[in-house]
Amino acid sequence: MRNIIVRVIARVIIPFIQLYGFYVVFHGHLSPGGGFAGGTIIAASLILYVLAFGLVAEEKRVPERIAQIIESLGAIVYVVIGLVGVLVGAQFLGNKIAGFPLGVPGRILSSGSILILTIAIGFKVASTMITLFNHLIEDEKEG
Amino acid sequence: MFDFVKLWDNSFYAMAIILFLIGFWVMLTHSNLIKKVIGMNIMETAIFLFFVAIGYVNQGSAPILGREGVTFVNPLPSALILTGIVVSVSITAFALALIIKLHSYYGTVDADEIAQLRRISDDSE
Amino acid sequence: MIVNNLPALIVVVPLFGTYLTLMLGVKHRKSSSKIALVSTGLLVVFTGFLAAMVAKNGEVFYHFGGWNPPWGIEFVIDRISAFFLLIVSSIGFLIVVFGSGTLESEVKPKIIHYYYALFLVLIASLIAISASNDIFNIYVFLEISSVAAAALVAVQGNKLSIEASVKYLILSTLGSGAFLFAIANIYMVTGHLNLSFIASKLPEAFSLYPLNVLASLGLVLVGLTIKAALYPLHVWLPDAHGSAPTTSSAILSGLVVKVYIIVFIKIIFRVLPPEYLNKVPLEFSLLLMSTLGIFIGSILAMRQKDIKKMLAYSTVAQVGYIFLGIGLLTYNGLIGSLLHILNHAIMKSMLFLSAGIIIKLTGRRRVDSLNGIGRVYPLPMIAFSLGALSMVGIPPLNGFVSKWYLGLGALDGGQVFYVIVLLVSSFLNGLYYLPIVIRAFFGPDSGIQKPESLSVGVSLSLIILSVSTVFFGFFSSIPLEYLAPAVSALFGL
Repeated sequence: MRNIIVRVIARVIIPFIQLYGFYVVFHGHLSPGGGFAGGTIIAASLILYVLAFGLVAEEKRVPERIAQIIESLGAIVYVVIGLVGVLVGAQFLGNKIAGFPLGVPGRILSSGSILILTIAIGFKVASTMITLFNHLIEDEKEG
Repeated sequence: MFDFVKLWDNSFYAMAIILFLIGFWVMLTHSNLIKKVIGMNIMETAIFLFFVAIGYVNQGSAPILGREGVTFVNPLPSALILTGIVVSVSITAFALALIIKLHSYYGTVDADEIAQLRRISDDSE
Repeated sequence: MIVNNLPALIVVVPLFGTYLTLMLGVKHRKSSSKIALVSTGLLVVFTGFLAAMVAKNGEVFYHFGGWNPPWGIEFVIDRISAFFLLIVSSIGFLIVVFGSGTLESEVKPKIIHYYYALFLVLIASLIAISASNDIFNIYVFLEISSVAAAALVAVQGNKLSIEASVKYLILSTLGSGAFLFAIANIYMVTGHLNLSFIASKLPEAFSLYPLNVLASLGLVLVGLTIKAALYPLHVWLPDAHGSAPTTSSAILSGLVVKVYIIVFIKIIFRVLPPEYLNKVPLEFSLLLMSTLGIFIGSILAMRQKDIKKMLAYSTVAQVGYIFLGIGLLTYNGLIGSLLHILNHAIMKSMLFLSAGIIIKLTGRRRVDSLNGIGRVYPLPMIAFSLGALSMVGIPPLNGFVSKWYLGLGALDGGQVFYVIVLLVSSFLNGLYYLPIVIRAFFGPDSGIQKPESLSVGVSLSLIILSVSTVFFGFFSSIPLEYLAPAVSALFGL
């Protein structure tokens, strides 16, 4: 599988896939897409990396331990942002009523807590997909 | 006479139910566990299609604020089904991981063969 | 501030605990049991407070993010859900207390933080399912609970448990698929996902699209009874509950199976208008399936040689009792079901925990090899015997009370046949539970010279569970009076 064509093409397109993934994550509150879709695209780029360069090379870039911590951190950030609503006396996951600045609709920095939540989800989904894929590959090696 | 126009209008639902039955059939009749997982996925996809079809409006477009005079599709089913897809992906991943583990124990992914191997090992005890 | 947000916090606390365990578990594995202990302990306090609040002020409504229904997700905690929430958190807490002493011997130390994370996420999903009033939200948490439960079965990684887990996962996915299809049908005809709104739209939808409503009811019945392991859809349960680690078996049999019954009660009694209950053949199918389940579950349990498998088959029979009470469609029947949910949660988790600790200490799993164990290890065997006697339905233990109300429910409905079913099945229960008890205390010597000592967590949780078996036998009026207003409201009394 370690074909030169695959490697060269992967090297060229992976940055673009990742850029597109980040675009989708950061525009989750403005256009269709969001944390889940963008996170999957970012993860897809890393899965392509594994397919082209092997698990060992990928492990150097994104060690499993870091991926696990990012995964938990994404969820924890989500919960903490939700708890802000509880702390200021509104409901869990409150946005406007919890005092997040809404900004101008259509700008990237708008819509209060939604952007932060989308980014947290994006990171969580990306790291989860990578860990899932890596675990399945690892098991295959052992078996 | 059978109402073909009505069937054509509801073709999404009809297709979804046919797909559901195919998935269900594969899941129940095949003893190969990988095929069972594939059947499971077909079944779930059928339900997703059914669900999304509820929200579909002919000639509708994506509901984004700031555009007047356009028919929108109902975005809620699509949003819900996104969650459904996430769930189905994780279940598939988990099921495949378990099946890989089973394969390493028994050397086969066929449920009937596994049951047979187990019966042999039970008898020898 | 905290009081107003209790319904959200009871889900957030265990979820937060889950991810904290996962993150800290990378470096400090030892911390995970403490996090689990603290978060389930907090849950007991929160749910207790919530139950008191519901008793004082009536139903508690909570809108996430301040979005009112039908747009936002709504949690409604009435007396029935508050009652079940309290069961989930207390039994969960006791299982964690038990596990703090023994879990290392059953689960590899390397993955123990994953185990606690799964346990907490399972508790969170159980709580969210029983509190949520949004049917899609219920579906998502149903899936979370089934994945977490299947993972808790597979966690030992041996042949039997992996196989059981695959079976469980595939069948419960089938169940949730059916449930999702039902949701799609309901959403199609009513345009709502919130249970209260569905309830208000359903009469109209029923007259316009009776087939869709009937189909969705059938799918809900099939989906939830697969997950709740009602006979003949129970095939996954004995393997899964029999081969899982002790603490997993306890939570699976004690709590997980019941949460689906709570969802079923919610949909049947809160959503479906009472006058339509008689138009659908629900009563007949439920009564038939539960009667068969009670008998066949008991008979299969009798034939088992492995003690955990026997307990698992007994769960099939007990689920039959709970559905019998629902199927009777009478006030006392439903009270009996709900009481049996409480009592069976206590009894079965106690039975699984004591059986697990006996297996761990003696290495004996076979039913006929437990001779004289009661004299060597009195505490686990006394707990087991109390649970067994309560299962048989010997007064004054708690199992008797719920069977009494089920019997009353059957008489109210004029169906004397089911009273006979209850009596005969109690006799069957006695046939497989009592020999173990008699053998353990009066049988020949076990041949064990030096008994090992029990850890504090194990003794504490077994003592609390045994005391509550007796307590809810004598003071059954406490849960009864708590539930009575909610149940009579469901029947419009």
